[in-house]
Amino acid sequence: MQPDFNRIKKRPVQFFVIKLLIFIAMVVVLDFAVGKILKYFYFKQQSGLQYRTTYSMETTTADILVFGASRANHHYRPDIFEEALPQYTFYNVGRDGNSIFYHYGVLKAILKRYTPKIVILDFEHVSLAKDETSYDRISSLLPYYESHPEIRSIVNLKSKYEKYKVWSKIYPFNSSILTIAIGNAELNKTRSNDIKGYVPLNKIWEKHLEYDTNTVIKNILDSNKIACYENFLKDCKERGNKVFVFVSPYYVKFKIPDFSVTKGQEIAKKYNVDFFDYTADSFFTSNRRLFADLVHLNDSGAKVYSKMVIQNIIDSKK
Amino acid sequence: MIFNSINYFFFLAITFVLYYLLADKFRWFLLLITSIVFYLIGSPIISFMVPVAIVLCTFFCGVLVEQATNPVRKKMVYLLGLFTNIGLLAFYKYINFFIQTTLESVELLKKLFGAKDATVHASLVLNILVPLGISYITFQAIGYLIEIHRGSYKAERNIGIFASYLMFFPKLFSGPIEPAQEFLPQVRQKHEFNYNQVVTGLKRILWGLFLKLVVANRLEIYTDAVFGNYTFHTGATLLVASFFFTIQIFADFAGYTDMAIGSAQIFGYKLMENFNTPFVAKSVTEFWRRWHISLSSWVNEYIYNPIVFSYRNWNKWGVVFAGMITFLILGFWHGPSWNFIFFGFLQGFILAVEFLSRKIRKRLRSKIPALLNDLLGIAFTFTYFTFSSIFFKANTLYDGFQILKRMFTIKGSIYYENPSIMIFSIIGILILLAFQIKEGYFNKNFSLFNNEKWFIRNLSYAILVIVILLIGVFDGGQFIYFKF
Repeated sequence: MQPDFNRIKKRPVQFFVIKLLIFIAMVVVLDFAVGKILKYFYFKQQSGLQYRTTYSMETTTADILVFGASRANHHYRPDIFEEALPQYTFYNVGRDGNSIFYHYGVLKAILKRYTPKIVILDFEHVSLAKDETSYDRISSLLPYYESHPEIRSIVNLKSKYEKYKVWSKIYPFNSSILTIAIGNAELNKTRSNDIKGYVPLNKIWEKHLEYDTNTVIKNILDSNKIACYENFLKDCKERGNKVFVFVSPYYVKFKIPDFSVTKGQEIAKKYNVDFFDYTADSFFTSNRRLFADLVHLNDSGAKVYSKMVIQNIIDSKK
Repeated sequence: MIFNSINYFFFLAITFVLYYLLADKFRWFLLLITSIVFYLIGSPIISFMVPVAIVLCTFFCGVLVEQATNPVRKKMVYLLGLFTNIGLLAFYKYINFFIQTTLESVELLKKLFGAKDATVHASLVLNILVPLGISYITFQAIGYLIEIHRGSYKAERNIGIFASYLMFFPKLFSGPIEPAQEFLPQVRQKHEFNYNQVVTGLKRILWGLFLKLVVANRLEIYTDAVFGNYTFHTGATLLVASFFFTIQIFADFAGYTDMAIGSAQIFGYKLMENFNTPFVAKSVTEFWRRWHISLSSWVNEYIYNPIVFSYRNWNKWGVVFAGMITFLILGFWHGPSWNFIFFGFLQGFILAVEFLSRKIRKRLRSKIPALLNDLLGIAFTFTYFTFSSIFFKANTLYDGFQILKRMFTIKGSIYYENPSIMIFSIIGILILLAFQIKEGYFNKNFSLFNNEKWFIRNLSYAILVIVILLIGVFDGGQFIYFKF
């Protein structure tokens, strides 16, 4: 089983080092080959979450951009915007489960290419709170680490070793192989196709209004998130974009004001940015049929809400 | 410092290079220093004082027990060493549990006797940081003292070498619980660089990493999401999560153990095995001979056998009693809460049933084909352990019962937020089970990882690295057994 015992006996350390180097070379070659294949198919996708991120960062030239997580993704209808503001084109760059780290990374990549006219940031409760998951989700930006130097400082927040981990060609696509396969098979188009980045939800929420009691424990603010949020607004302002921050409606009654929202308002005020909070809007909290679940509006809710957002934008332009 | 962190691999690589650069006589000392550094990284200095106290007390008591000629004095020193270890473990790990249980018992008694205001406390919790690895260190120290007292092992006279036994970093936080008589002689052996040993150790580390990152961490995403919010989930989801948890805890702990054994092996040390393909066990009794072997051996040697001997007049009921007490202690060892005690009770109970029904089962077995008999045994053992593990995973005993209740009463579909989590979980489980079945039944057949051809062998390990990079979960949490 073990080859050449004499050589091992005579110079075991040298033998070990040589074998280790050969093994490492095997891993490097495999990593390079598999990584390149994954990269090719990742950027070949024409639908799905990953495609939308690529499109947002590298292709869109829309005048109005909506940033945020799933609530951005499901709450801002492009047809309503384009109908009310026909002079502008629209794209929703929101992505499920992501935080201000992702939003700011995407914004940086976009601002490197062009300057959108209106930027809307959908701001969530507890979005500036400390939370490990937000750092884990920075991995959404890893495939762009090599080609987008401007996002590296954000990706490096994930861990101090991130810049070394990306030496692996596979690592940026870790756990993405199925999503890439689905994206290339275009199964997304039959599952949940998007309309200019907007993904409609068609369910209707059947349960009663909930009261949130957990807000207090989620309110230790994260300085990295605050810095990213502040830079998001600052960069937009410096480039002359009109930037608006919206807290879209919840079907939840919050017992105390959310620390993140309060901080978000305070920073927006500092940069002279309009901040609209629909958290406690009674029109929505009294109308469960506009919701798909406690935190997401359905397509009808998105239609109503989008009209309100447009009105806010028009009013503020006057 | 956790084994699956980049910091650990830096630490291991530096220690490895320094170890083989040093002259052989200084190598054990380097391991002691690096073990102390390992402990101090991520652990406050005050916590470090506890293992220091255990090392000092156990070392001197061991020497004094051996030297004592007066039996009373011998016994006194022995008990001092024993109770210091048990006392430290009880204080740091269980004091809050004891306080809460006492106060709740007083409240209950007052209620029973009709007191109007039964409340005797609001919440009294001592803010104590449990020193890392205390359960493992004390169990090894206690085992060492018992062996010295029995006269079956000579006390170590070099405190540095003794400290390197209790503090050896690969087994420091989660075992294996290594008997002194197995470990200490190794410290005095010559440790020349051994190619085969180093390569086998590194491969073992890689396999452990696979189990942790690809299987355990992936399953953890699902089980945490389900058990963390069990009130929102259906019976089918809870059932799937329970089966996943059984695999998760195995992959997590076996992965840790592989990394510990592999890390020790690259320095020329052999640690005892903790697992022997437990999922091919055909009874729960057999399962516990294959699962967490170092702990089961310890409790068998120092708790179970002495009780059986003391109660030998009770005949078979002495065995049942000893089994029950042993498993209650084993459950309680895992953590200071009732759910762990109940987990231990369930193990003790089924072992008693299996022991008492062994003749009937033997008669029944002879009437059914061997293969069917094996399959039924394996399925029962796995299912029983899965159901009892609900109490291992649950935060409280109440939660455990609620999960069980919901499992059989709440109908609905199986939750999967993200199909890739489910698919990757199943891929990981299938690889793990295939490996278990191969190890258990077809070990001499064709093997990729032990292939005769160097290229195939190494290509298999290279592919394992690629699989880890492709589907491993790098943002996962701590090893489950670190908290014990």
